[in-house]
Amino acid sequence: MKCTLGTRLRIRAMVHVAGEPIPNFWPMRTFIHHNPLYGLEHMPFQQAVEEGSRLFHADGYLPRATYQGYLEQGKIDMATLTAQIGRFLAGQPEIPGVDLQVLLMTLATKIREPLSIRPTIADSKDMHAALKGNALTPGAWDDWLKEGLKADISPACPVYTIVDELFGTAIGTSLDELVIKSCLDFFDEGQSVWQMPGREQGLFRAWSALAERNLRLFIRGLHIKNILRADDTPEGIISHVLTELGVPEDAWLDYFTRELTRLHGWAGFIRWRSSAKHYHWSRNFPAGMVDYLAIRLVLGLALLREHAQSKGTPASVAELMRFIEERPAETYLRREFHGGRVLPVLAVEVEKAICSGRESRISRLLPIYLEKKREQEAKHLGTGLRALASQAGMLKPIEELGEIEFHQLTGILTRFENEEGQMWLNAQETHYMRRLLNGLDLASPAPRDKRPFAQVMFCIDVRSERIRRHLEKVGDYQTYGIAGFFGIPVGFIGMDKGSETQLCPVVVSPKNLVLELDIARNPDDQALASVLEQVFHELKASILSPFITVEAIGMLFGLDMFGKSFAPLAYNRWRQHLHPERLDSRLLLDKLSREDADSIIRSLQRAMIVKAISRDLGIEREAVTDEMIRELRETALGNHEGPTAFANQFKLDTRTEQNFLERLRGVYRINSGYTQIQLERLGRIGFTLDEQVHFVSQALRSIGLTSNFSRFVLLAGHGSTSENNPYESALDCGACGGNHGIVNARVLAQIANKPSVRERLRAQGIEIANDTWFVPAFHNTTTDEVKLHDLSLLPPSHLVYLERLNNGLRAASRLCAAERMATLQESAHAENPAQAYRHAQRNAMDWSQVRPEWGLSRNAAFLIGRRHLTEQLDLDGRVFLHSYDYRCDPKARLLENILTGPLVVGQWISMEHYFSAVDNEHYGSGSKVYHNVAGLFGVMTGNLSDLRTGLPAQTVLKNGEPYHEPMRLLTVIEAPLEHARQAVEGVVKVRNLVHNGWVRMAIADPVTGAFYVFEEGAWQLRHAHEKELLEKEIAA
Amino acid sequence: MALTLAAAFFLPLFPLSIVFNGLLMRLSNPYARFALVLLWPQIGIAALSFTNQAIPEYMVIWAIISSGLYALRLLTVRDLGLWAGFLASSSLALTWGLAAHHTPVEMHLFAFWFSLPAALLTLLAGSLSRRFGAAYAGLYGGLASSMPRLSILLVITAFVAIATPPSPGFFAMLNLLQRLSLLAAIGVLAIWLLWSWAATKLMQGFVLGADRRHGLPDLGSAAILLYMGVLCVFVVTGLYITGDAL
Repeated sequence: MKCTLGTRLRIRAMVHVAGEPIPNFWPMRTFIHHNPLYGLEHMPFQQAVEEGSRLFHADGYLPRATYQGYLEQGKIDMATLTAQIGRFLAGQPEIPGVDLQVLLMTLATKIREPLSIRPTIADSKDMHAALKGNALTPGAWDDWLKEGLKADISPACPVYTIVDELFGTAIGTSLDELVIKSCLDFFDEGQSVWQMPGREQGLFRAWSALAERNLRLFIRGLHIKNILRADDTPEGIISHVLTELGVPEDAWLDYFTRELTRLHGWAGFIRWRSSAKHYHWSRNFPAGMVDYLAIRLVLGLALLREHAQSKGTPASVAELMRFIEERPAETYLRREFHGGRVLPVLAVEVEKAICSGRESRISRLLPIYLEKKREQEAKHLGTGLRALASQAGMLKPIEELGEIEFHQLTGILTRFENEEGQMWLNAQETHYMRRLLNGLDLASPAPRDKRPFAQVMFCIDVRSERIRRHLEKVGDYQTYGIAGFFGIPVGFIGMDKGSETQLCPVVVSPKNLVLELDIARNPDDQALASVLEQVFHELKASILSPFITVEAIGMLFGLDMFGKSFAPLAYNRWRQHLHPERLDSRLLLDKLSREDADSIIRSLQRAMIVKAISRDLGIEREAVTDEMIRELRETALGNHEGPTAFANQFKLDTRTEQNFLERLRGVYRINSGYTQIQLERLGRIGFTLDEQVHFVSQALRSIGLTSNFSRFVLLAGHGSTSENNPYESALDCGACGGNHGIVNARVLAQIANKPSVRERLRAQGIEIANDTWFVPAFHNTTTDEVKLHDLSLLPPSHLVYLERLNNGLRAASRLCAAERMATLQESAHAENPAQAYRHAQRNAMDWSQVRPEWGLSRNAAFLIGRRHLTEQLDLDGRVFLHSYDYRCDPKARLLENILTGPLVVGQWISMEHYFSAVDNEHYGSGSKVYHNVAGLFGVMTGNLSDLRTGLPAQTVLKNGEPYHEPMRLLTVIEAPLEHARQAVEGVVKVRNLVHNGWVRMAIADPVTGAFYVFEEGAWQLRHAHEKELLEKEIAA
Repeated sequence: MALTLAAAFFLPLFPLSIVFNGLLMRLSNPYARFALVLLWPQIGIAALSFTNQAIPEYMVIWAIISSGLYALRLLTVRDLGLWAGFLASSSLALTWGLAAHHTPVEMHLFAFWFSLPAALLTLLAGSLSRRFGAAYAGLYGGLASSMPRLSILLVITAFVAIATPPSPGFFAMLNLLQRLSLLAAIGVLAIWLLWSWAATKLMQGFVLGADRRHGLPDLGSAAILLYMGVLCVFVVTGLYITGDAL
């Protein structure tokens, strides 16, 4: 029976909702830092972490032992931890004779391994007996077994997971492998030489067409065709499979979520792709979550049926429930054995019993097994409790507790261990917050007597903090922090590119397009090296050629390998010489007028008509006149009717003429609809003068730079360079959508240098000095180099100062490298700045380097305020610094903009690092060493795995321990309380993040000199709060 | 004939091998297991040396089939002690391939090359049982991280037991293959392949996987030195003796 439209829509909606907790996954080329629990941000942080743990089987906090390590290093605020425990205990029953505050404090700070009181069989009575060394009373198991199994096995659990758990089959693994292979085939973006056919029909249709004829699946006994016959839409297939499996309809939503989260990397990629309308691959080869889910379900059902046929395992919920109902003892032992929970001492006996399938043998073994397990659980927990009680000096009172009190105590300990992570996190964050806030200078800055030699705008990125600090030290430089896209969202088409790159935060869609035009270049000029590289690449990628080429030119690849391995710096420099120097280019920034756009389109259409006449009719250009071409164009566009002079001239009959006109409209796209699209596209190119003035004004006002401009104002976009690193774009500018920031810097500089723009700015009160020149620069975060761009545009009067500028920048780069390299390699501590700088450059070119730089690791805070607040502080490259002067923003609109864009991006970065550090295997992407590029858009571990999301171990861990100290982003706004509060409350997204605890927020009020921290749902004056905590700490 | 059958009992051929494996399972003391695996086949070879009859061809076929059955069984066994016993049953059965040529010294050595690593595996099984309650693969993976010394030793001993070069078993197997007919040699090669597959599967269950931070002690320095010393002496002696034999 075919699925009705209503059912299809319902399933589509359910899949959409089921996929909400899955975070989007962007292609690696433009790595976007994101919150792995983005879909759960509507929940409070603690609750979302719990839900994330359930969905993704991941930890949301560091292990206790790591927090204890932080405590030893003085990174934990003891008073906060104590207060948190006190607050927790306020809601718990009192236990006579036991000081719970001391007991829990001992548990948290002295006992390394959690007690993990989650026994499956033993109860508190058993634990109490074990604690006292008494024998356990015999248990009654029958009712317990049936109830326990019913509670454990949910109908929303994918059927194959339960079958795997009961029968030790690996259906889930096989299913994942088959799904991954299908996805790799369909989503490939150029890695494969042979592409999957029919991809333009969409994922499900293309896959179905192949799967029906897939001999390998057929040989494996997977009769896909029978299932696909039920319906021809993915929604229909989903409905059919779930009906066949017997999953109750009210469990479908949960069932979908469990299926989708199983390979959440692939699901996240498909989810993102289906919403990325501008994405070339998604436009040409569409795919959605419904397609993906349908494929999973079809393959899952086929595998279940194949196993049912060959091994007699259940293939539906009903069969499964019958098995459990009829054989509870066997079910229990099977789950223990195949679920990896079996007691090692009885593993062999259990294996033999379930393999024999004899009920009598199983029934005999079960009570023995259960008693043994209960005894072991009770003993294990009793030992843990004894150690804790002894450490806290409360062994006797705990031993003497009555049954009820002991039960209450174990309950408190269990609840405490569930909430402990959040307490540690709060205490860790408070410590950092206290240190940061205490260091801030809230006094008014002294006025400058002369303008600085240069002003430099860096990205807010934490990596800019170091170089800003050094630059300010080496000379008369004033630095500012601004989001790396400089407030200009740009769609950019580079010189050698055919597609648009969006250079702005992913939460923004650029309206304006910028074209890069070369000054003078012959397209036929291509370096020999580039041609050879292309040839070698194609030889390698082909199927047959490697057999021959390995003999013929294999040695060349060997030389390349030796060069890259043993002398990466010298070799890569030599290779760069083989390529011609990149020519100067200019950006097309001014808006085209309607007449200009019309003229461009007319010109293009005329060229197309000339081509069409030559190709389709064999008539050369010299035989036709401009007037004929014009008339043909007008006719194709429907502005003219009747036979054309062209047809008369070449004696074309009406039919031939009409056919030709139809081809012009269809094939050569000379029609009114496409003309309109072209006009709209051309309309996106450039900025109007108003827009240009607006963007410059907004950028300058948002950082508080409205007067006293220097001779040089550097706009330093940033990016990174590394070899053999799929994560390279993760090190680039997040505010530029994971790209280099130089284009945005060039755009703003070119606009800000225009006299017409400056004139308008002057009228707005922004007085840019006549000799001020905006210079774009590129800050390479891997090498610390700051390189100036567009120097050919520099006025001659500025050239004399260029050497001083370059010297200063170079000195700052070297000092920055010396500081940074010491964090990357122990041996680099002894290096002087010049050596460290060379070392950093080598890192950027070394293809074996798995950690070219630490990137944004250890980021901890986001500071919105004037530079003098932090000028005297060494922030250790951990703080995003956004310049902001509240005095330039009376209505707090600019602050709202900062909160909406840069802060949200900062929070994504912070959360990505947080979760990748607390559980690198699940939220991060594991070790880079095992990564392989998948389809040119992602990485997998090994040759077949889920797409690895998050950050690799090499980015957040050092020697297996977190290098990134995971904390929620502490945001500090320097502004009067009411001003800042109004902005925070005015941006719904940010307000929710703050209220739900995803971002810690503090306000530094420069008027009153007080700090306010958002805690427990309200803004709290920090001094009073601090005092109270200190008093408690002293009392403790 | 009685002596030949007695030899089939000690140089275990299925179903007589059930006694050897049953005994091995019943012994809980690892040292007793060690002694049993080491000495049991030597008794069989001694019994064979007293027979004056030629060993019939069907005994060799029986031995290869028996060895093959145990090799197949190895693929599904997860208990290390049991696995060592089955591997010994599979490998020692192949001693019959040399019996037809009546070379007692070679046979004694062949059995020794295979029984010593298997016996060492039973000792390691004892070490694991003391720590975890049982030496059962797949229950507590990640030993490579939590107990690197024990993991390395386990992997090396298992590789030596399945006749990976340069262990003496490897050269002994080459020697055996030269003595067999083509068909029998192909059978033995298939068995050898099964050992490797089974060992890889077993080691994956112990060594790989997530580090569960068991908090249990690794092997001590003295123990690791002793084990490695024994293995080194074993390999060097093997190279010396089997090199000469080849």
